[in-house]
Amino acid sequence: MLYRIRHTSKYQYSQPVAVCHNLVRLAPRADERQRVVSYRLIVSPEPSDQASREDLFGNRVEYFSIHDAHRGLSLTSMCEVEVAAPPAEPADDPTPWEQVRDRLRRDSAALLDEYRFVFSSTHIPIDQRLRDYAAPAFTPGRPLGEALDALTAQIYKDFEYKSGATTIATTVHESLESRVGVCQDFAHLGIACLRSLGLAARYASGYLRTYPAPGKERLVGADESHAWLSVWSPTAGWLDADPTNNCRPGIDHVTIAIGRDYADICPVQGVVVGGGTPTLSVSVDVAPAERGRG
Amino acid sequence: MQSQTPSAGGSSPTQGAAPAAVFGQYAIAPGAYDELIAPGGAVRPVWAPVREYLDRLGKAEFARRWAQSQRLIYENGVSFSAYGDPENRPRPWALDPAPMLLHEAEWEGVSTGLRQRARLLELLLQDLCGPQNLVRSGVLPADLVLGHPGYRLPLHWERRAGRTLPTMLTYYAADLGRAPTGQWWVLADRTEAPSGAGFALENRLVTSRMLPEPFRDRRVRRLAPFFLRLQQTLRELAPSGRSNPTVAILSQGAAHPNYFEDAYLARYLGYQLVEGGDLTVRNRQLWMKTLEGLAPIDVVVRRPNAELCDPLELGGESPAGVAGLLETQRNGAVAIANACGSGLVESPAFMAFMPRLCQALLGEPLKLPGVATWWCGEEKSLDFVLANAERLIFKKAYRRRGEESLLLTRLNQKPRAELEQLIRSDPNAYVAQERVLRSTAPAWRDGRVVPVRVALRAFAVASGGDYEVMQGALARTNSGGEPLEASILSGEGSKDVWIVGESPVEKVTLLPSEQEPAELVRIGGELPSRVAEHSYWLGRYMERADAYARLARIVVTRLTSERDASEYPELPALVRGLAEQGQIEAGHALESMRDLLPRVEGALASEVLDHTQPGSLSATVDRMFASAAQVRDRLSRDTWRILLRISDKFRKQRTAEADLTDLLNLTDELVVDLAAIGGMVIESMTRTQFYRFLDIGRRLERGIQAAELIQTCLVESGPPCPELLEALVDSADSLMTYRARYRARLTLAPVLDLLVTDESNPRSLAYQLNTLERHVGKLPRSGEGEPNASNEQRLALSLAHAVRMVDVSDLAESYELGRVEPLKRLLAEVIRDLPALSNAIGLKYLAHAAPPRQLAPT
Repeated sequence: MLYRIRHTSKYQYSQPVAVCHNLVRLAPRADERQRVVSYRLIVSPEPSDQASREDLFGNRVEYFSIHDAHRGLSLTSMCEVEVAAPPAEPADDPTPWEQVRDRLRRDSAALLDEYRFVFSSTHIPIDQRLRDYAAPAFTPGRPLGEALDALTAQIYKDFEYKSGATTIATTVHESLESRVGVCQDFAHLGIACLRSLGLAARYASGYLRTYPAPGKERLVGADESHAWLSVWSPTAGWLDADPTNNCRPGIDHVTIAIGRDYADICPVQGVVVGGGTPTLSVSVDVAPAERGRG
Repeated sequence: MQSQTPSAGGSSPTQGAAPAAVFGQYAIAPGAYDELIAPGGAVRPVWAPVREYLDRLGKAEFARRWAQSQRLIYENGVSFSAYGDPENRPRPWALDPAPMLLHEAEWEGVSTGLRQRARLLELLLQDLCGPQNLVRSGVLPADLVLGHPGYRLPLHWERRAGRTLPTMLTYYAADLGRAPTGQWWVLADRTEAPSGAGFALENRLVTSRMLPEPFRDRRVRRLAPFFLRLQQTLRELAPSGRSNPTVAILSQGAAHPNYFEDAYLARYLGYQLVEGGDLTVRNRQLWMKTLEGLAPIDVVVRRPNAELCDPLELGGESPAGVAGLLETQRNGAVAIANACGSGLVESPAFMAFMPRLCQALLGEPLKLPGVATWWCGEEKSLDFVLANAERLIFKKAYRRRGEESLLLTRLNQKPRAELEQLIRSDPNAYVAQERVLRSTAPAWRDGRVVPVRVALRAFAVASGGDYEVMQGALARTNSGGEPLEASILSGEGSKDVWIVGESPVEKVTLLPSEQEPAELVRIGGELPSRVAEHSYWLGRYMERADAYARLARIVVTRLTSERDASEYPELPALVRGLAEQGQIEAGHALESMRDLLPRVEGALASEVLDHTQPGSLSATVDRMFASAAQVRDRLSRDTWRILLRISDKFRKQRTAEADLTDLLNLTDELVVDLAAIGGMVIESMTRTQFYRFLDIGRRLERGIQAAELIQTCLVESGPPCPELLEALVDSADSLMTYRARYRARLTLAPVLDLLVTDESNPRSLAYQLNTLERHVGKLPRSGEGEPNASNEQRLALSLAHAVRMVDVSDLAESYELGRVEPLKRLLAEVIRDLPALSNAIGLKYLAHAAPPRQLAPT
């Protein structure tokens, strides 16, 4: 499936900003399932300097700074990316999740790049409460894939999607208490449950293709950034799960970056001098470049 | 019998008696190794000549020399330690005058071990921040590395081919302790930004001066080669081998406890001392913000912890950091010593793996053993340490520089069961270490020499693929047996360590050693905007304090004379002047003469000296001192000494009930002290931009103060009596000039000439304004040949012009005919435009960039 994506973030400041430094992670990830046909980042005003690198997880990180006073900052990323369906999972993989956990511990040296995702991180605590929450899904001996689907469904059922109900400062325990949140909260909760069980779980940021209501035109720019999670399986590699939509991501999900949690792969982060009160507006448009539904 | 014991002070009146021996009653503690006395009671050979010397010297002489040395320490302390510290906290690691002696043969063994350890830690860091092969091959447990709270993604060196990591560990320190067997053990590694070398240097300057004879005779190895090597290494680190790189010490500022050392080393090594706010990243390079624009920085000696150093990538809004710093490090545009991330390996957890790592990375055993350490994250170790908990001490496995001493004590005081539960709940987070009964060394305590426990902090600096170890160290002392964990903040004692040798001492100097002829430099290097700002305010507060003191003195003189105060017709106007300056309550100025005097007499001293009142003389002196403290690395030692004396006097006066006589003395001395500083500024300070901003501050303030006082006395108080004119002229220190010129009673026209228009009088308004105009003309300009004069140029010009155009005879004549307007207008213009000039200069040159803030994340 080929997508044409346009993602614009606009900051307006009540006071001029003298200097800003920014890190941007908006380029789609190139991997075995995604081919990046084109990518471009347009920054206005023109940056004084720019650089790009790949981080430890293979995400593209762009740095720029602006040294002329400005009252607004606009970032637009445009890309064409082709997404393939995930490889078929070995049918009825019977590996119980405990075996996956033990394998990770036993082979931690050889599995270092997976084992990194077993530890607590900025937004991911590890504790008994989370193990307790995951217990109904992760029953003893249950195959990993099945248990993952059960956890995904459980979060989907237990939680209300409520835009604006949480912020990036909301902790996993707070959302576990309030039972509301957005995709980011659900992904963090799922990851925290999986890691509390000793499994390797990572955070994915990206986009979700949306379908217009029957009989309606597709609304340009009304899409949003999305977040979901993956868990590592020795037989199938990284299994994606989307607790916000209670599904396994397929060709409707486009991945930008992966990390231990949001803090590793925040799409736009920056430091400004001056600026007063900033306001932010975001518009995302994920358009299929081909007709039909893959 | 009793008469034979030496008296406590050793100052026996009996002439000719042998002096009381310094080491008279040194009694060693059982169990531990003593540095001075060998088992059996003999003095160790390395100490023998020094001990003999000191015993010959005698207690009294030793104490006298120590008292002298403390004066030097005190001055250094006030020069470099936390500024305006009202508590006068003692210096951390207070010096003990008795040095600790080690033979160079022994130290060579220790040094070999330390060099190996530093190489090992560098290789370990290269791997941890890079490929992590040590984990992949099973040498280090994955949990140890991946669970490290200091292991941050931005510190990881990306995998791109062809990129090599920078040197991670330029500068290393280790804490060493000597076990009862005589063996030295490494107790802890310090790799983030080790402190202490500056203290070792200061200790050396003090003890070598205090005990010059044994220092020379014992051929004590010098510290200078170490610092020379440090300079050389930092020079070599500069990107693309720039031949004359700019090195800056990134400090956390005058309020931080490490400031003493930062400032001391910056001056000794000749480096810029900067704070986060002085730096900016542009074009992926590091720059210092100066008055002349941006000046490149090639090498940064990093003092804050890595996580504070880059708010862009490592978060936080710490003013210690510079947004984009990590990007410059990646870009190779700046060398950071130590590189961000170097602190990872100072966590005690790694000590458990050092023997194994040494085999894996260097293929040889550790030459200097580390204290036995068990990381509880390994099951076998956990069982062992819980079974042997009594003889071990527990620590957090991961260290955050500057926080652990308290934790440690609390941890080890927990009941056994609670401790076990705590550790079992998160074993990865703890280590256990063997207790080392450290050796004892002689220390001077309350006029006696007694044994105290010591640990050494030794220093190493990278040197062409290897490391060079300082031929000396900082001995750290405490009298209890508890672990010497506490770092620089806890205020333990320290000693100088003398490495004594057989061969003559090589002479080295920190002057440039290479054969390059020194380039002649006529300017003072670039001036950071922040420094210019403090310099400007120092100038303003100096003049404000001077004006306040002079007026207060004039009033006090009249109040304390034998004449009745009501016989002074000028007093109400002068008191009003004090009130307008803000030195005394405004209410005093409104009262009638009869009520006024007794009240002013009672309240004057306490109000003027009340430092909590922002307008008081005492508060002004405080601010002057605080501004000076911010730029003390640019003030001469003597200037600083006077500033300190002033500050001390005012601080002492506060607590007591001050009366008018005290105030008279204080203001008298202040006026003289400020004149001394002014003289030093004129005679000794080169005419750099630093001087310029100081003098702009002084001229501006003097102009404002003079104009306001004239306004109070001549415009607001009605026609002046001759006595008031005299007081006014006196306040401007111009009475002598007046008398020399006119030899008559004071009249208005000559007074106005002297105070307003006489360009040859350094106290006149005209003089201030002319000087300001000249200074403003010499401020750095951004563009060549700007078409229009800048705002500050126009203001300065118009002010100078206004005063130059005044015809003093006309002004005085119309005033005496009752038309105050012309004088009033002139003064009003000066009083309005001088602050406007100050704002214009501030906006253009001093505007301190606001601190960086995090942008709301998307």
